[in-house]
Amino acid sequence: MLRFIGRRALYAIPLLLVIVVLMFSMLHLIPGDPVQALVGDYPVPPAYRQAIEEKYRLNDPFLVQVGNYLANVVQGDFGFSYQNQRTVLSLILERAPRTILLAAVSFGLAIPLGMLIGIACGTTRHPGVDKFWTTTALIAYAIPTFWLGQLFVMFFALKLGWFPTQGIGPMVSRTQGFAWVLERIRYLALPVMAFGIHEGMRIARIMRASVIDTLSQGYIVTARAKGLGRGQIIRSHVLRNSSLPLVTIAGYAFGHALGGAVLLETVFTWPGLGLLLVDAIRLRDNMTVVGVVIFSAIAVVVMNLVVDLLYAMLDPRIRTMR
Amino acid sequence: MSETTLTAHAARLMRTRHGSIGAVILIAMALIAVFAGLLAPYAPLQQTAESLAEPSAAYLFGTDNIGRDIFSLVVHGARSSLLVGLGAALAALLVGGTVGIVAGYFQGPVEAVLMRIVELFQTLPVIILVLCAVALFGSSFWLLIAAVALAIWPMEARLVYGQYLKLRDRDFIAAARVADLSTAHIMFREILPNALQPVIVQVALDASIAILIEAGLGFLGLSDPDMVSWGRLLFVAQDYMDSAWWMSLFPGAAICLTVVGLNLFADGLNEVIDPRGSAGAGGLQ
Repeated sequence: MLRFIGRRALYAIPLLLVIVVLMFSMLHLIPGDPVQALVGDYPVPPAYRQAIEEKYRLNDPFLVQVGNYLANVVQGDFGFSYQNQRTVLSLILERAPRTILLAAVSFGLAIPLGMLIGIACGTTRHPGVDKFWTTTALIAYAIPTFWLGQLFVMFFALKLGWFPTQGIGPMVSRTQGFAWVLERIRYLALPVMAFGIHEGMRIARIMRASVIDTLSQGYIVTARAKGLGRGQIIRSHVLRNSSLPLVTIAGYAFGHALGGAVLLETVFTWPGLGLLLVDAIRLRDNMTVVGVVIFSAIAVVVMNLVVDLLYAMLDPRIRTMR
Repeated sequence: MSETTLTAHAARLMRTRHGSIGAVILIAMALIAVFAGLLAPYAPLQQTAESLAEPSAAYLFGTDNIGRDIFSLVVHGARSSLLVGLGAALAALLVGGTVGIVAGYFQGPVEAVLMRIVELFQTLPVIILVLCAVALFGSSFWLLIAAVALAIWPMEARLVYGQYLKLRDRDFIAAARVADLSTAHIMFREILPNALQPVIVQVALDASIAILIEAGLGFLGLSDPDMVSWGRLLFVAQDYMDSAWWMSLFPGAAICLTVVGLNLFADGLNEVIDPRGSAGAGGLQ
């Protein structure tokens, strides 16, 4: 098991290397002055220009520059955001927990709901139930989450006034304890609903296909022949075996969400990583752009690692595989 | 595929419930895109007398903040959305297909290297990379297609690769080798026709994903500013959510309808190609 973990972790390193090199090269491909490309569209005082040239070794060969940049990143130095007058790392560390909160709550609701719907569709004796959810999933999957978000804001926030239209909380909050939690939930509700419906329906689709596949396996026939009840078969055989593909897909999706649900955060002005990225792009704050992309790549890679481990725990065959 | 089998396939497709609905939606959308100039009462960028007018007989979908007719904009937007969707799906087919064919046909180091690259692209947060590429280099129509294709080609590569893997050890390929046919002949004339069917389904699904990505880029204000696109209309609508619901509702519904159409069409194709439905579940993985 430990060897398995080690091998997967080793596999992640070249992946991260490629991403850092790719991003750095992209900065270099921007036509014009490299210092300006790093800093963004801001006036650069000569002293700062010199500091940047030295720090990023801009007069050295390209490979030296890449190596130097890598060394900086490894030490947690993602550069300085001229726009925000702060280090990029501090910006990321401030924003990341908010994105994690949004993604975790959304997936926390979407996974059980999606699984339930998927199992219900896969095992139901009523074709109507299956048809209803299959059609719903098909349509829900075609709705762009950001548009669903706009519709929710217009209906639930602006027309009915049930929820705030944007943000993560009020400017000044006087509530404490349970009331504070409730207040936060009101801000979370709409983005979580938009995100959760999309992901939940995706999970339901995968779960349904997986359940149908599992039900056709020989051991289910055996279990039936042994006289096991319907509920018992679903609980002890179908659930575990059908969850395998789900772990992979949901895990990857979660990893990508940690990298910033860019569109969703834009609709709800949710001040997470995605919004940081979009703002940085609009303001040409390139150092921040690169920093966020590298950070989200790390999130994806780490999540993939977690998925591999979960998979190994659920499926003993993988552990022993060379 | 000869003319008659193509018609036969089309006829069978139209007999499937999903396939027929999907095909009708897609044909309607294509007609709207082609005849946009005739259907739209106003030129897309023409300003009417009223801004932020509610939907009415004069302005079917209302007007936007600078008085442009939303109905005309949505109709013209079909062009860019369909073009980018189809263009990116075909570009992804070309790149992913080639990589898949080469990796699937040759065993050994070529296969290993190519499939590692595909895996790499699948693990990258590609959407974010696409976003950066467009942001850093500006957006034109062709760059948009290239960027979206960049995000979806690995799916195509994996599928084609899987097909080639399945076919390369079959008897008829061994026979072709014995007959001393050229590698290119075996790759493209012997294997390709047999590998094509699931690929066609994937192209339809790719196009739907491409349309969603293009809409997302437009929504962030990163699409070509000179082109009318549904995503871009939603970008503008974001600032008028409190006063003009119609600015958001109609362009979004158009995206939704097109994507549903493509997915239904793919479902129908799947049913025709593989009536047992075993390939069907893999569509969105």
